[in-house]
Amino acid sequence: MMMTDAVLLETEGLIATLTINRPDARNAMSVEILEGMHEAVDSLRDSEASVLVITGAGRAFSAGMDLKAVLIELSGDATMGERLLRSLAELTLKIRALDQVTIASVNGAAIGGGCGLTCVCDVTISHADAKLGFPEVDLGLCPAVIAPWVVKKLGGGVARAAMLRGGVMDGREAHAIGLVDWLAEDREGLVSLTRSVAERLASGGPKALSTTKSLLNELDGSLDSALVLKGAALSARVLATPEAQAQLGSFVKR
Amino acid sequence: MIQHETQGDLSVITLDRAQKRNAMLPEMLEGLLAAIEASGDARAVVLVGAGKTFCAGFDLKACAADPSGETMRALLSGLSSCVRAMRVCPAPVVLGVHGAAVAGGCALLGGADVVVAARDAKLGYPVVKIGVSPAVSSPFMLASMTPGVVRSRLVDTELVDGARAFELGMVHALVDTADEVHAHAMELGRSIAQKPGVGCLTTKRWLNEICEVTDSTSQQGLDASLSLTGGEEERARLAALWG
Repeated sequence: MMMTDAVLLETEGLIATLTINRPDARNAMSVEILEGMHEAVDSLRDSEASVLVITGAGRAFSAGMDLKAVLIELSGDATMGERLLRSLAELTLKIRALDQVTIASVNGAAIGGGCGLTCVCDVTISHADAKLGFPEVDLGLCPAVIAPWVVKKLGGGVARAAMLRGGVMDGREAHAIGLVDWLAEDREGLVSLTRSVAERLASGGPKALSTTKSLLNELDGSLDSALVLKGAALSARVLATPEAQAQLGSFVKR
Repeated sequence: MIQHETQGDLSVITLDRAQKRNAMLPEMLEGLLAAIEASGDARAVVLVGAGKTFCAGFDLKACAADPSGETMRALLSGLSSCVRAMRVCPAPVVLGVHGAAVAGGCALLGGADVVVAARDAKLGYPVVKIGVSPAVSSPFMLASMTPGVVRSRLVDTELVDGARAFELGMVHALVDTADEVHAHAMELGRSIAQKPGVGCLTTKRWLNEICEVTDSTSQQGLDASLSLTGGEEERARLAALWG
């Protein structure tokens, strides 16, 4: 099945694969990408698949928010940042609530919101040369929208250090701190590792998987949509400040 | 006993009672609290120890010399206030561990945002041995570490090295030798201090909100530790140590 071509959704047996497909823009989250992802994720509610793999086309997984779209000086639209962030927040809540067990197969850069997206998934697979991290604070931004997921994935202390230090790390370091669960040697190895992990997960009973996931969601507060939406509003507030806009402006033009 | 220096946007605090491995006295913790509270306008804080080691914990000789338990009570309350102050400090706090961070010294990690340690540093909470409960540290540890790790660390008197502490999530950056700890902590502190302010400060505030340690939880931890102070078990074990 194909949605808009910005997001591809294919199902083979019990395994669905969602591919973010804007390789020229390093799969940055634009309105188009986010709408495509919402549509794809919505369609999975009636799917027989028990596993969902999320990955990116080309060299990046996702470079995070579409910075050009949220730079008011370029877009002329002061509400775009808030709308994109809210859409991302709602998307993460939807993915978390899916019956399917989700795998992020991080083929390349997973930055900021892109890295946050991996933390929403149940399992993250990557390779040694991938780049992951939260450089929001380096750009004067605030990763509040994804922070609840990062804290759930890494624990409060490790998440705190990763988000306050900023920067990015390679796949090996991400594996060492628990951001990545399974690590392939290189990009080629990632494809076969993803297939074998997806098949292994899909060998579990679909009801056993969804019941387990749903209980974990309940126990760890994943269903607290108010927290994630509050995070989105906070990220949007920081994004709109002159300081953040100025930093973004010089970064985008670089 | 505390050095406090401001370098531009960076506040640098050093535990400086090197001849006693920076063992904590009540007045030293008062100084530490004052230094942290005076760092409100900084953009990053670095906390390190002078001499051969970060901090050996409470000065147990001083505790043993005061059978009334007053010194121990002042240390527990002072420690709780310092950790809390580090956490509510608007600026991120980078803490560097060289040598050892033991007991009360290790408890300071609970207030830090980024912990740098040497691979061979020794960390842990071996205080039940002397009849003291590390409950005072538990609310802050639970907000930052895996609950299972907190449990096993607090009841076990064994120390772990820096490399293992990194695996357990107590430490966030490793350096190979003790000599590199200060420089790396300063480098991280400067790098954080140079980031645009609003985003970074908002991020810390939001993380405090998500991983909240309320005043009452923190008080509960302190009260549990205080409940043993001056008691027979603690007195006997402290006296045996220095008798």
